[in-house]
Amino acid sequence: MKKYLPYLLLLVLAGVFLGYKLWNKPHEDMLLANSDIAFEATKLFSEFDTDELTANTAYLDKVILITGTVVSSSKDDNGQVKIMLESGDPMFGVICELDTHSSHKRTDFTPGESITLKGKCTGKLMDVVLVRCVEI
Amino acid sequence: MKKTIFLSAVALLMVGALSAQKFFTREGKISFFSDAVVEKIEAHNNTATTVLDTETNRLEFAVLIKGFQFEKALMQEHFNENYMESDQFPKASFKGQLTPDSQVNWKADGVYQVKVAGSLSIHGKTQQVTLPATFTIKSGAIQGSSSFQVAVADYGIEIPAVVRDNIAKEINIKVQANYQIFNK
Repeated sequence: MKKYLPYLLLLVLAGVFLGYKLWNKPHEDMLLANSDIAFEATKLFSEFDTDELTANTAYLDKVILITGTVVSSSKDDNGQVKIMLESGDPMFGVICELDTHSSHKRTDFTPGESITLKGKCTGKLMDVVLVRCVEI
Repeated sequence: MKKTIFLSAVALLMVGALSAQKFFTREGKISFFSDAVVEKIEAHNNTATTVLDTETNRLEFAVLIKGFQFEKALMQEHFNENYMESDQFPKASFKGQLTPDSQVNWKADGVYQVKVAGSLSIHGKTQQVTLPATFTIKSGAIQGSSSFQVAVADYGIEIPAVVRDNIAKEINIKVQANYQIFNK
C-alpha cells in the first residue's frame, strides 16, 4: 500500500489543480476571440426586428463584428462605456457595451463617426444589445 | 361643424399626449447576490430598459439574461446554461403599477417609498409580486431603486443537489435606474 501512496497523492494533487484551474477559468479574451459573423448594425437590428425568435437562435452569444454609425456614447459612474449605433429606426439603436476585462485604445466616440466593434450579442429589448465589446 | 369637432378631438388628443409624461432609460442597472454557506455569487447587468409613466404610475422593466456579467467565467456559463437556460428564455421582465396607497408627487423634489405591484417573469415563469421601491426626485430628475428577494423555486429554476449549498434559495436583487424624459 505504502508503495502506491506517492502516486495517490500525486493524483489527488493533480485533481485539485485541475479543479482550481477550471474554477478560475478566465473570461474569453475578446481581443483574440474569432468573430462568428460580420454585420452592419442596421442589418442586425432589422433581422431582430423582423423575426426575433429566429435572430435569437442565430445570434445569441455569438461574437459579432459590427460596423455602424455612432449615435451617442456614454460613461456611467463606474466608468462603464456604452455606444449606441444607428439601427435604421430613429427610436432604437444597437447598444454596444465596452468590455471591462479588456483594455481599450479609447473610450470617447463622436456621434456620426463610423466604427467597427467586436462583441457578444445578448438579444433585443427595445434595442439590440452587444456586451463585452472591443473596437477593431 | 364636423371639421370643428374633428379639430377639437385632435387638440384634445394632443393635450393628452403632452400631459402623459413618460420617462425611460436603457441604462438600468440590475445586480443579484446569492449568499450561500459555501460561496457568494454576484452578477451585474447595466443595460436594462425601463419605462415609467408618471401619468398612470405604470412601470416596466426588461433585461437580457445573457448580459449579466460574473467575476468567474465558469459561474456565468453555469448560470446561462444550467439554471436560467438563457437560449430558451433570453429575457426577464417586470410590468406593474404603483399601489393605490403609494403617493408620489412626480413634480416635487423628495424621497418617496412606494410599493409596485405587478407580474415578474423570469425563466419563462410569471409570478404576481409586490415589490418595495424608492423614487428620488431632485430638480425634476427621477431616480428609482429597489431591493428585493426572489425564491429560485418560484420560477422553476432547479438547483442540483450537489451544488445546493453553493447557491442560496433566495436571491437578492438590486435595481437602479436614472430616468430621462421620453421625447417621442
